[in-house]
Amino acid sequence: MMLRFAVLLTLNACSGGVPPVPMDHFQNGDLPFVRQFFDEQLREGDQQSAALFLNGLAQIEMLEGNLEKARHNFRQAGQVMGNWAISSGEAFSAIVGSESSKTWRGDPHEKAMNAYYTGLLYWMFGEHDNARAAFKSGILADAESDEGDAQVDFALLYWLAGRMSIRMGLLSEAEDYFAEALQAREFAISHGARVGWSDSILANPRQGSLICLVDIGIGPIKEVGGPQGHMAVVTPRPSDVESAEFFIDGASVGRSQLLVDLNYQATTRGGESMEGIRKGKAILKTATGVGAAILLSEGLDGHSSDRGEKTAIGLGLLAFSLFMRAEADVRTWETLPDSVHALVADVPPGEHELTVVFRGRYGDELPGLSQTWSVEVPIEGEGVYFFRSLPGLVRTEEVVQ
Amino acid sequence: MGYSCITCVLASALVLAACGTVDKRIDPDSPDPVGGAVLRSQDISSMADQMSRDIIAAGILRSSDPQRRISFHITSLRNDSGDVIDKEIVLTRIRTSLQRNLGRQQVRVLDRSKESAEEVMSERAAKRSGAVDSNPAMRGQVGGSDYVLKGTIKDRRIQSGSMRSVYYLVTFELTDLETQELVWTNEYEAKFLSEKSVISR
Repeated sequence: MMLRFAVLLTLNACSGGVPPVPMDHFQNGDLPFVRQFFDEQLREGDQQSAALFLNGLAQIEMLEGNLEKARHNFRQAGQVMGNWAISSGEAFSAIVGSESSKTWRGDPHEKAMNAYYTGLLYWMFGEHDNARAAFKSGILADAESDEGDAQVDFALLYWLAGRMSIRMGLLSEAEDYFAEALQAREFAISHGARVGWSDSILANPRQGSLICLVDIGIGPIKEVGGPQGHMAVVTPRPSDVESAEFFIDGASVGRSQLLVDLNYQATTRGGESMEGIRKGKAILKTATGVGAAILLSEGLDGHSSDRGEKTAIGLGLLAFSLFMRAEADVRTWETLPDSVHALVADVPPGEHELTVVFRGRYGDELPGLSQTWSVEVPIEGEGVYFFRSLPGLVRTEEVVQ
Repeated sequence: MGYSCITCVLASALVLAACGTVDKRIDPDSPDPVGGAVLRSQDISSMADQMSRDIIAAGILRSSDPQRRISFHITSLRNDSGDVIDKEIVLTRIRTSLQRNLGRQQVRVLDRSKESAEEVMSERAAKRSGAVDSNPAMRGQVGGSDYVLKGTIKDRRIQSGSMRSVYYLVTFELTDLETQELVWTNEYEAKFLSEKSVISR
C-alpha cells in the first residue's frame, strides 16, 4: 500500500507544468518579451514541453527575421514531435499519473504547422528538396489522426509540396500534389472548414512569381472540461482579421486566400485513444473516492472486528483517488494563427515596394497592422515572403532566387 | 514504524531519481537510444564508410599515370524523402573518408561549393591586382574535375493505424565528366518500424 502511494507520489511530483504564454504581449507585437518567456522556459521550465517552447521561440525568431535560428529551432522541435519512441516509464506515468507528464509532441495540426514553418524556411534558403521533405512530413503528420475520415485536408502542404516538386524538376509528382491539394480543400470544406472567397490559387497552382504567406489571427486554445477535468476542449479565439490585401508599388494585386483553417483542423482530429483512458481514469477516481468514503465511514463507525482493516483499505483507496490525476493534457501551441492565407501574384522581376493591409469582416482596414516591405522578385523562380497580422513587426526581408 | 520510514525514504529517492537527467557519451556507431524512424548517426557513418570503401575497391579513382592525379568533386545529395536531412553531414563524411583513404598523392578532391568558388575568385582577383601579396609557386589554374559524385535519398513510408514503417534507399553515383558514363554506383538501405504508444494517439 505504502509502495503504491510512493509510486503515485513520484508520478505526480514529475508531472509537467507550463505557465501561460504572455499572449497579450504577443498580440501587441512585443516580441522581445515573448522571446524572453520562451528562452526562460527552455532553460528552467518543464523539459517534457521543450518542443512546445522551441516552436514558440522559433516563431518569434521568424517574425524578427532571424531565419537561421528559427529554422534550427523548428527542426529541433519537429524531431521531438515526429518521434514515436516512448519509454515504458513515460507511458505508465501518463496513464496512471498526469497526462501532461508525457513529452509534448503536439496534435496532428500542430505537427503539420511545425512542418509548414520548417519547409517555408528551407524554401527561403533555397533548399527545395528539404523544403519538400518538410511539407511531406507535415502531410504524413496530418494523417496521423485516429479518425480515419479526417486525414487529407491540409491543402496548403500539398500545394507547397507541389511547388517544390516543380523546382526539383519532378513535374509528374507536382501534378499529383496539386490534384491532392484540391481534394484536400474540398474535403475540409465539406467537413466544416471555413470557405475562402476564392480558390484560384489551388485552381492555378503553378502561377505567381511572388508568393506571400500570411498567418492570420490567433489559433485555438485547449481547456480542461468535464467534471474531473478529463476532457480537452478546443476553443477558438476570436479574430478581427478576415484577410490581407497586398499592394505592389501602390497598386492592389488582390486579397489573400484562406488555405488552412486551424480552428477546424484543431477540432476535428486527434487524442481519441487518450481521451478514452482519461475517461476511464475519471471513472476510477470517482469510484475509488466513493469506495473510500464508504469504507472509512464503516471502519470508523462500525463495531465489527474488521473495522481496522476497512479503515486501512479506505485510506488506501482515498490516497489512490487523491493522487490519480485524470486531467487532460491541455498544453497547446498558443501562438499559432487561426488560419493561414496566401497570395500569389505575377510581378515583374526586380525590386518592388509591397504594402499589406489587414482587413476585417466588412472589408474595413484594421488600424496598426499595415506593413510596408521592400521585396525582390527574381528572374527565375519566385520570391517568397512571410507575414503575420501583428502590429509593430520589424522583419528582415529574404530574397529567394 | 520502521517499514513506513523505509518506504518514505524510498519514495523520496524515487521522486528525485525520476526527475533527474542523465548525460553520457555514446558511440556514434551504436544504435540511437532516443529512437525515431529516421536516418541516424549510425546510418550516416555506415553509409559513408561503405561507399568510400567501395569506390576505392572499384579502383576508378586510382590513376595509372603517376604524374597525374585523378580529380573529382562531390556535388549534391538530393533529398526526395519525407525527412529533412542535413545533406552536408553525409557528403562531408564521405569526402573526408575518401581523402583520408586515398591520400593527396592519389586524388585531388575539389571543393566546388558556391562559397568556396566565391572565396577563390575573390582572393585570386585580389592577388592578381596586387592588392594582396601572393606566392608565385602556388599560382595555377582552378582544377578541372574528372568525376563527379552525387546521390539521392528516397524513402517509402507505409502508415496504418498505430504502425508505421519507413524504408530509406540512398543511392550514390560516380559519373565520368568527359564521357558522361556512369562508372560506379552503389546504394545503402535502412528500414524502421515504429508503433505508436497509446498515450500518443
